[in-house]
Amino acid sequence: MSPALRIGLPLGALVVILIAWETAVRATGTAGLVPSPVNVARAGVALIADGTATRALAGSLQRVLIGFCVAAVIGVPIGLAIGTAPTLDRIFRPVLDAMRSVAPIAWIPMAILWLGVRGDAALFVVAYAAVFPFILNASDAARRVDGSLLAAARSLGAGRALTFGAVITPSALPFLFTGARIAMGFAWGSIIAAELAIGIKVTGQSRAVAGLGQLMVETLYVRRDVDALVFYMLMIGAVSFLIDFGMRRAQIRLMPWTLR
Amino acid sequence: MTVAVLRLAGVTKTFRAPRGGGDVVALSGVDLDVREGEFLTVVGPSGCGKSTMLSLVAGFAQPTAGEVLFQGQPVLEPGPERGVMFQDYALFPWRTVMGNIEFGPYALGVGKAERRGRARELIQLVGLEGFEDRYPHELSGGMRQRCALARMLANNPTMWLMDEPLAAVDLQTRIILQDELLRLWGDGGSAKRSTVLFVTHGIDEAVLLADRVVVMARRPGRIKAIVDVNLPRPRAAQRSSPALAELVGRVWDLIRDEAVRAIAEETN
Repeated sequence: MSPALRIGLPLGALVVILIAWETAVRATGTAGLVPSPVNVARAGVALIADGTATRALAGSLQRVLIGFCVAAVIGVPIGLAIGTAPTLDRIFRPVLDAMRSVAPIAWIPMAILWLGVRGDAALFVVAYAAVFPFILNASDAARRVDGSLLAAARSLGAGRALTFGAVITPSALPFLFTGARIAMGFAWGSIIAAELAIGIKVTGQSRAVAGLGQLMVETLYVRRDVDALVFYMLMIGAVSFLIDFGMRRAQIRLMPWTLR
Repeated sequence: MTVAVLRLAGVTKTFRAPRGGGDVVALSGVDLDVREGEFLTVVGPSGCGKSTMLSLVAGFAQPTAGEVLFQGQPVLEPGPERGVMFQDYALFPWRTVMGNIEFGPYALGVGKAERRGRARELIQLVGLEGFEDRYPHELSGGMRQRCALARMLANNPTMWLMDEPLAAVDLQTRIILQDELLRLWGDGGSAKRSTVLFVTHGIDEAVLLADRVVVMARRPGRIKAIVDVNLPRPRAAQRSSPALAELVGRVWDLIRDEAVRAIAEETN
């Protein structure tokens, strides 16, 4: 298939679907009840222009980033520790597995009870969701360090500190990065869920702390704007894609040896 | 005059078999004296413990019984005076050619200017000029070997421990690298040669390089015979000599039955 066709065909299919969708909504006169492409686009332009969408996005992103960093700071050392010490792994693995089995969303009531309905409860859920990919990938990374590289370092005169810094760390980095990508996906997925669950109480006056999830709850119950809802959904997807894309690019930049 | 720089005395190494199949005796009662400046090669069928022997000398493992003495001292851990070249090269993938070669001197606290200079010298010696900034995955098999060789040499080890270092390249490359290895060791008659323990599958290679060939047997791994190679050096000129061919035949006779049995067991 020629390059033009390879891009053109799926694009054409998309355009056909959108036109059919728009036509169907108009023909049935259900605009406002059912979202339509043109109305979604219109809503999106308005919500970005008056700052509603971008403010909410910034709120959500901020919590995701903080939760992600907290999860990394907690998860990576735990993972490296249980990955290098089989005894620690045997002791803590069952506890970790049990905790991991509880869906992060199930923590929302407890989080609200402890931390209130402001941003902190959502932050807790995000950190909880993101910490396990860090732990699992870090422990895997520590276990997978090539034994002959460790032997080579030792025979070249490297002590413990240099071996950790110059062999274990760089060999773990690609796995840690994969863990970080998964963690970021979990974090972004759970922030929306947490904000949806917490959201309704925070809407109205104090929109400064509200994220996209809260905004969607308000849009559903107060404004009843289906087009805006769909626009937020698209935004969530686009942001998630951009974050992962950025992280993959960063990995290629930072770790050229992982390109094989 | 000839001092045993390395002595293995009654060295036995057993491994616990996975899933409780009893202990596997990798080496049993190995006695060996290696003279200073000697090029010793070790051949034998797979499973004869030749790599185990090398890792004991390197200090990666400890013997179950017996002693490994290097310069009169028991070997308890790896050390920079015993350089190792690994079968899979074990180059650091995140370091360039220069970075890999510099690692040893860096670990020993050699200053930047000095280790750079030393690394450049070695890069020239092994013919990797122009590839200083390449990563291992960007190199051919032969170039990786040269890099691993240079890295081993960077600490000026008095003993070279080489575990099938030329196994993974094509025949032409292997022949070229054999010649270069001999040249670096001082085959032309250098005053101060390093002591080499070189494990290989290749009988031709073992005879061509060595002052003595250690022939090993398996189950348990042990020394079956030690064959003296009294051919003149430099050896590059001896590749097609009848005396070399005859010695290769003798070594092959020593391991043929074992090798055949080893292959039969592996295919079962």
